[in-house]
Amino acid sequence: MKMTRTTRTLTWGTLSWVGLALLVIWTMFPIAVMVFTSFKPGNEVFAKPNTLLPQNWTIDNFVNVLTDSTVPQALLNSVLVGVLATAITMVLSLSAGYALARFRYRGSRALSLFILMGQFIPITVLLLPFFIAINAMGLIDTIGGLAITHLVITVPLVTWMVRNQFASVPIELEEAAMIDGSTRLGAVLKITLPVAMPGLAAAAMFAFLQSWHEFVFASVITQSPSSRTGPISLTEFAGEFTVDWGATMAAAVVLTVPVVIIFLCLQRYFVAGLTSGAVKG
Amino acid sequence: MLKRNRKVGFYLTLPAVLLMAAMTIIPVVSVLQRALSGNEAFGRLFTSPGFSQVMVNTALWTVLSVVGALVLGYFGAMILQSKYLRGVGLWRSLFLIPWIIPGVVGATIWKWNFSRDYGQINQVLLNMGVISSPIEWLSDPNLVLFALVIVQIWSTAPFVILLVSAALTGIPAERYEAARLDGANGFNLLRYITLPAVSATTALSALTLVTWALNAFTIIFVATKGGPAGSSTILPVLLYQAFQTGDESMVAVIALLQLVLSAIFATVYIRSMRNELEESAA
Repeated sequence: MKMTRTTRTLTWGTLSWVGLALLVIWTMFPIAVMVFTSFKPGNEVFAKPNTLLPQNWTIDNFVNVLTDSTVPQALLNSVLVGVLATAITMVLSLSAGYALARFRYRGSRALSLFILMGQFIPITVLLLPFFIAINAMGLIDTIGGLAITHLVITVPLVTWMVRNQFASVPIELEEAAMIDGSTRLGAVLKITLPVAMPGLAAAAMFAFLQSWHEFVFASVITQSPSSRTGPISLTEFAGEFTVDWGATMAAAVVLTVPVVIIFLCLQRYFVAGLTSGAVKG
Repeated sequence: MLKRNRKVGFYLTLPAVLLMAAMTIIPVVSVLQRALSGNEAFGRLFTSPGFSQVMVNTALWTVLSVVGALVLGYFGAMILQSKYLRGVGLWRSLFLIPWIIPGVVGATIWKWNFSRDYGQINQVLLNMGVISSPIEWLSDPNLVLFALVIVQIWSTAPFVILLVSAALTGIPAERYEAARLDGANGFNLLRYITLPAVSATTALSALTLVTWALNAFTIIFVATKGGPAGSSTILPVLLYQAFQTGDESMVAVIALLQLVLSAIFATVYIRSMRNELEESAA
């Protein structure tokens, strides 16, 4: 029996939606558990059998986390570290990214590969040397000390993203402005930067998120609540024998929500920035 | 003018290059130096009873999580290509969420999901009658590494979905139509049009995934600290443990091992990136 057009459409259509549903469950189920657990009262968190949805919704866990824990301080620290690391990253990456997109000079290719190489050095390899260096600078347990370590993660990727952004702005636009009497710097400021701005903003957000996520350096550089960042504070609800899972999940939600919002707003540019090197082949 | 521009280009690149040199070359040299002067640690590492287990764990972890993420990523990208679906943009954003949430959050929520008594995974499996007693996901030494591989796949497969669906979308529809007019069937289309068009993307994804797997730390450390009894310890976790006990020459020796592994994959990456740079440099 030959498949007619409609049964074929029906079969493939159904299969597509079933596949999609499976992927949505796989993706969202753990996240749903996080969100629902964060709204459960303590006796339901540790109930057997455990239900997915709370029986009695409560915001106690969030109140706890936001008023009676080190999480607010940790979030503030995370913002400060992120802003500092992003600011330094952008100064370096804008300058290097522009040069790598526009100029060809002896060794330019080698230099851009060298910057890009940075992302291949395992973070744990840098752990001891960085700890010793930050200690020698007297910056252990400070916001600045942690922000410095994050540069090794942000600068390679962001320089690459910025380079791709600038390369996608036609050089003819700049040249036209220069013919009209503008200096090169003026042309860049007036023409290229505004055109590339959304992508550059996404690159900056990307740097911020990398810093916001970072765990390994933060776990050894920060030692007291005064510099401890969000990811570290999340592990602190675990006592020696018990974990306050309700509060942990509430803190996890607080740590995740800003990231997801930022990402969803800027994802178009993230995707373009990250894939422009990859998909052309 | 050109000559001056070249100088300008060099000076604009210089600060980033100097910073990266300070943050990569100096630490790597210091690691080498420390590893060579503390070379008794090589012996201690290679003869320690747990070492072969760590290497087996690292290999198993890397292979399984990379293959898993590639398979799932291709599946997801293919689903998103289906012309029968609505709201593809929305679904794609949704699929990316595990990749963009902080690793420590991913590890924490999976640790809770894997809890023997209160975890939803055991609960669902029990309710469906798949298992009759709760599984010890994170405390069974034979199971823990596989459970953690699932977490790594969960958080990295979205990256593959992203890259592969971008590559698939980039294939012009006319190419398929022309092939169909020439009498090509579905298999031919896949073999001669789709696969060649995504081969470069596949290589890049695989390489990136390998790097992430070899350097993975947060998921394992937050969920199990490498335990129970070292059954989920891979190289970066072993290094961190040596750091915590203050065994500096051991840290340097493990770091050296990690560097050699990364160097191999970095070389492959640079090879493929070099062509890219040659094509697109202005």
